[in-house]
Amino acid sequence: MTNLMISLRRSPRTLLERDGHPGPGAGKLGLVMARAGVGKTAFLTGIGIDALLSGQKVLHVSIERTIDKIREWYDEKLVEMLKREKKLEHLSALQLTMERNRHIHTFVGQGFSVERIRHTLDLLRDAMEFVPAVIILDRTEYTELNPDSIAELKAVAADIGAEIWMACRTHRDGPPAAPGHLPPPADGFEDLVDVAFSLVPQDAKVRLHVIKDQQEMVDKDLNILLDPQTLLLVPGVATKK
Amino acid sequence: MSSDINKIRNIGISAHIDSGKTTLTERILFYTQRIHAIHDVKGKDGVGATMDHMELERERGITITSAATYVEWKNHHINIIDTPGHVDFTIEVERSLQVLDGAVLVLCAVAGVQSQSITVDRQMKRYKVPRIAFVNKCDRSGANPQRVSRALRDKLGHNSVLLQLPIGLEAKFEGVIDLVEMRAIYFRGDNGEQIEYGEIPAELLAEAEERRVELIDAASMFSDELMEAALEDRATPELIRAAVRKGVLSLELTPVFMGSAYKNKGIQPLMDAVTQYLPDPTDVPIEAIDLDQDDAMIELHPDPEAQTVAYAFKLDEGRYGQLTFLRVYQGSLSKGDTVHQTRTRKKIKIGRVVRMHADKMEDIESASAGDIVGIFGIDCHTGDTFTGAGPRINMTSMYVPDPVISLSVHPVDSKAQDNMSKALSRFTKEDPTFRVNLDPESNETIISGMGELHLEVYVERMKREYTAEVETGAPQVAYREAIARRADFDYLHKKQTGGSGQYAKVVGYIEPSTDGEYEFVDKIRGGRIPTEYIPACDKGFRSSLDKGSLIGFPVVGVRAVLTDGNSHAVDSSDMAFLTASRMAFREAYKKASPRILEPVMRVSVEGPGEFQGAFYKSLMQRRGTVLGSTEDAGFARVDADVPLAEMFGYSTDLRSATQGKAEFTMEFSKYAPAPKEVSEELLKKYRTNASDEEDA
Repeated sequence: MTNLMISLRRSPRTLLERDGHPGPGAGKLGLVMARAGVGKTAFLTGIGIDALLSGQKVLHVSIERTIDKIREWYDEKLVEMLKREKKLEHLSALQLTMERNRHIHTFVGQGFSVERIRHTLDLLRDAMEFVPAVIILDRTEYTELNPDSIAELKAVAADIGAEIWMACRTHRDGPPAAPGHLPPPADGFEDLVDVAFSLVPQDAKVRLHVIKDQQEMVDKDLNILLDPQTLLLVPGVATKK
Repeated sequence: MSSDINKIRNIGISAHIDSGKTTLTERILFYTQRIHAIHDVKGKDGVGATMDHMELERERGITITSAATYVEWKNHHINIIDTPGHVDFTIEVERSLQVLDGAVLVLCAVAGVQSQSITVDRQMKRYKVPRIAFVNKCDRSGANPQRVSRALRDKLGHNSVLLQLPIGLEAKFEGVIDLVEMRAIYFRGDNGEQIEYGEIPAELLAEAEERRVELIDAASMFSDELMEAALEDRATPELIRAAVRKGVLSLELTPVFMGSAYKNKGIQPLMDAVTQYLPDPTDVPIEAIDLDQDDAMIELHPDPEAQTVAYAFKLDEGRYGQLTFLRVYQGSLSKGDTVHQTRTRKKIKIGRVVRMHADKMEDIESASAGDIVGIFGIDCHTGDTFTGAGPRINMTSMYVPDPVISLSVHPVDSKAQDNMSKALSRFTKEDPTFRVNLDPESNETIISGMGELHLEVYVERMKREYTAEVETGAPQVAYREAIARRADFDYLHKKQTGGSGQYAKVVGYIEPSTDGEYEFVDKIRGGRIPTEYIPACDKGFRSSLDKGSLIGFPVVGVRAVLTDGNSHAVDSSDMAFLTASRMAFREAYKKASPRILEPVMRVSVEGPGEFQGAFYKSLMQRRGTVLGSTEDAGFARVDADVPLAEMFGYSTDLRSATQGKAEFTMEFSKYAPAPKEVSEELLKKYRTNASDEEDA
């Protein structure tokens, strides 16, 4: 891990860093919630890049996108980050490092199942000695993952020492969150969520709330605005509510 | 023939090998009455399909070079370029894509979206070619066109939408349901030439209605008129077609058609679709370079009255000499016209203008903007532009990847020597990715190309078409050298020991360039080096790049910056500055952390899911970086970047590891630094060879 890689870390995941461990930790489930189009995918890609920059291996699982498309997301975001730092000359080297530590797995025409993910993890470990520290499940359909299977998934992740990140779409016209609970549909499995962020659009920017941390409901506006393009923290741009 | 430009379609038929595109083309020729009997690829009648016009292609059952043909369909004039399926012949596909306005992506109803379809689709995206999809082989066991349509969406990221549904499948495949007109289409007669329309079978009606709603939903994204009409339940076939066309032209919608070329089903509606949904030459903006206006980009207009601009995209050696395939982008081209070859500035008189039908031809008097024709009697390369009187215009140069592999060829006798020279001269004109050079040290003829198969085919063609018996050496990877950091130079070249002397001093630095190209920057102020010697400095640095000092391969991506220097009133000369620059480069190169770059290929391996682990292992063993994997209904695909040097013999290994059930494609991806151990091995080998040569 180079100094440049450390300096590029701007994902909200860095806020969870405790005892020098990047991210919420093994077996933990992180959730990002937002309405459609606010930037959940960009947020998750940012989480993936953050893990890669901190020297961790990432498994990015998708059911809707092609491998090329997901690579494009990562590459575009990395280019944007390097441009802002005026360090574009490091692009190829960083891309290569990211590619070696990232595996994208897509399921075409089928949903997630714990069994499939376990099988994929076994294959990656046995054939490539690839054991991810971060698993990103992109665009999960929660109808396929009931609380039991989410619990099972967390156990699988805990076994290999990985954390899991998922996104969850909230609906503008949906029922509001009951006090002390996550908004629907995440309330159905909220006991299993260790960390939850919500993204709230505000004047063409995105405001970051933490609604659950260390298994505790918080619902706190972190007073942080995210860069609307990259969904990354922008130092010095945090504003008062 | 219609002379209306809106009735012209220039289309390609692209697909994975064995998807049946040659059979499909053959059927199109039959239905459009260009041929009067149907032959199949590797047909029992021993004739072979008409489009596979080279002997070698017929033998291997694959299409190697593009053959152009034209057909007429319902008052439309359609030029079809049959494109090769193997990725080693990528330049053929790329050349076709450059002159095409649209394409039919043929997919197998059983195998679905295969690795080559992915590669070809990537190329089409690069050239922004609108496409429609045809799911072929619906008569085969396991056919599932709906699954293929989903795979188009999931694997290729297309916004695919069904315009047809199958009536029966596999052995019971009878015809298709047209979701626009909501009717059944059957193909009767010995060769499916009689179209019969009927009611949609009752058992399929509900599904057809559901799919039609999906179609209208997808199409209405491109037409407010259709959206409004749909809300009021009055969407007409005309409105749907217009909206789908708009979606196709914007590259945001891929309508899916289906059939079985082998069983003569579904071809005529596909031809209708080509005329209805794919662009005509006026729909596609055409850019060219005006060399008289400092290489400004200009837009051409497919106006038959404007200055003629035509582009040579394919050469063929025929009985009557070189046949050049041209796309006329602007103006017109008639027998007897005089045109200018932009590259050579030569004037050329057009002799015969022909329309091609695979290996048969028809003489015509003239061709207008938008058309594709063949002309005889001109000496040119592919990529040449021809213009009428007026500004010097060049079509945008097509993307030509650098060769990544080479091998030496030795003629067995003097007769073979002559024939080999003729063959190589021809092939280099035909194919810009095929290069020939003479190794000055070994005095061997070296041929270079895009893959093992690419070179194998040319060696085979030398033998067959030119009776040039040649022996080949082992394939060699085309490495490159590059610098990793900036290094300063300060070099004085001084020889003033009597007689006319030499004096030149150059100061500056070299550093990696951002775009991988060579760049020379003159930052000399106050005439420290007289202006007339600057080009010699540039030449000195440039010539140093031909052969790096690490392993003797070209150096890429260097920016040479000249900041200071000195000269002598009498003893300075071009030669002195050229030598000083060369020596300065040599000095700085060692300090600039030079390293070896190796070509890396994008490899996609595909096969039954049970072999997924074997795919990973096989790629990892070859120093591959696995980028990702896809699981799809029992099949798995693994994408990786693998150094070309590790790919020799991969097909044999993969075959044995998977009992022949898996396949792979590869195309050039990038040059990347070789790992330390590989670099050391190459350095050792280079030094050993060099000392052997010295000893000899």
